[in-house]
Amino acid sequence: MSVLNIQKISKTYANFKLKDVSFNLEKGYIMGFIGVNGAGKTTTLKSILNMIHIESGNISVFNMDSEKDELQIKQNIGCMFGGIDFYPKQKIKCIKDVVKRFYDNWDEEVYRKYLKYFNLDEEKKVCELSNGMKVKFNLVLALSHGAKLFIFDEPTTGLDPAARDDVLEIFQEIIEDGEKSIIFSTHIVSDLEKCADYITYIDNGEIIASTLKDEFIDSYRIVKGSKKVLERVKNDLISHKENSFGFMGLIKFENINKNEEYEIFEADLEDIMIYYAKRGASDERIIV
Amino acid sequence: MKELLYKEFKLAVNPAFYILLLLPVLILIPSWIYFIAMSYLFFIVIPNVFLMANSNNDTFFSVLMPVKKSDLVKSKLMSVIILEILNIAIAVPFAIINFILYKNNFFMDPNIAFFGFVLIMYAIFNLTFIPGYYKTGYKIAFPIIKAIIFAVLFAFLIETTRFVFPDMRTLFDTRNGSIIWQLLILVAGIIIFVLSNIAAFKISAKRFEKLDL
Repeated sequence: MSVLNIQKISKTYANFKLKDVSFNLEKGYIMGFIGVNGAGKTTTLKSILNMIHIESGNISVFNMDSEKDELQIKQNIGCMFGGIDFYPKQKIKCIKDVVKRFYDNWDEEVYRKYLKYFNLDEEKKVCELSNGMKVKFNLVLALSHGAKLFIFDEPTTGLDPAARDDVLEIFQEIIEDGEKSIIFSTHIVSDLEKCADYITYIDNGEIIASTLKDEFIDSYRIVKGSKKVLERVKNDLISHKENSFGFMGLIKFENINKNEEYEIFEADLEDIMIYYAKRGASDERIIV
Repeated sequence: MKELLYKEFKLAVNPAFYILLLLPVLILIPSWIYFIAMSYLFFIVIPNVFLMANSNNDTFFSVLMPVKKSDLVKSKLMSVIILEILNIAIAVPFAIINFILYKNNFFMDPNIAFFGFVLIMYAIFNLTFIPGYYKTGYKIAFPIIKAIIFAVLFAFLIETTRFVFPDMRTLFDTRNGSIIWQLLILVAGIIIFVLSNIAAFKISAKRFEKLDL
């Protein structure tokens, strides 16, 4: 069952355009939404919540229209936008006291349970929490009102490796019951390797791929070869780097020519991101 | 809606500002321009409430909740209206003491008509500031300056008219003036206050709906 379905949404800004963004998230899975800074991740996530007005396309959440049924949808969504603190000088219990009034299904018992589980002290002010604890606090709020879809924008940015690992493990625990789904944006690829089932990759406002993580990684290869070879295969590559020995580039699996004189290596998520980011840049590549 | 108002008074309006609502005590100063005593609310309290809300990302926080954007605007405006009505309610006893203590003041007496004019002054402020603020959802300086200028100009106009047209002075004078005229002005003030706030809400909600946050 589809939890989130985005169909061809577009939005134009002065220096940026979201072009026909489409993807689908199934119930019970974690989707990593990746792309470099400024690729359109936050804009897309904001459009799900009706915070920005899309020019065309459709968004449905829990099979309801995101505009028409906004309030009903938001009752079942938990979200967090990285780097934005709300009322940082207020105590956790004070924020909770306000937030709970907005939700029909607020469960105080669940709130107490997770507060204890995450070791959060209600008397602490939001600004006294570490970044990792802030993510947990947002998770507690979302879990307490029975959210079914969690939308997290860069939840792991600014966390130390241990805190990051901790958050990602919690993400996996959350979806264990098969009822909840998570979409989280990040530019830290190791996050996705650890916990994402699906990957949606956005580059310069366009979705490059939205598929199972392993399928996505497997559909690319890194190739290495001489400059002579580069001249022949340049057009098949997503992008490449030149060095004194030749070149290294990212290629789609289906574009590999077995007769070509290049070495083929498996690509990882980081390679894919880096080479896509280089795509469309000037021909003056960085000399490694 | 009530949960939004709860949020306003629990998080957005700092309790310290309630102390400033006592500023109408300045009505006890003899022969002063009492519009000033009623203006501290929009000189100090309202701009600070909005500035603090901005610095706490209040709008962003609120739109993530399951609420209509128009309700969000309504609750902000309602919180301003509540502060204004509280300010007037607090001013009334001081006005009565003024009435008991002093003979006719040089400037406008804090009588029934005065509170009608104060309501119109607040109406002008709200109608200018709130829709101005919701043009962007975060810019405060220009809308607040514009709203203060218009509201103060209105008070200035009322005070000066009383000198230019001595009849008006007699009409609004506490002891010898016409109570019917004073009541009429109060009623007019209430009507203008209500209508202006409805207009302020409609314009602001429309503007806020269009914004990309």
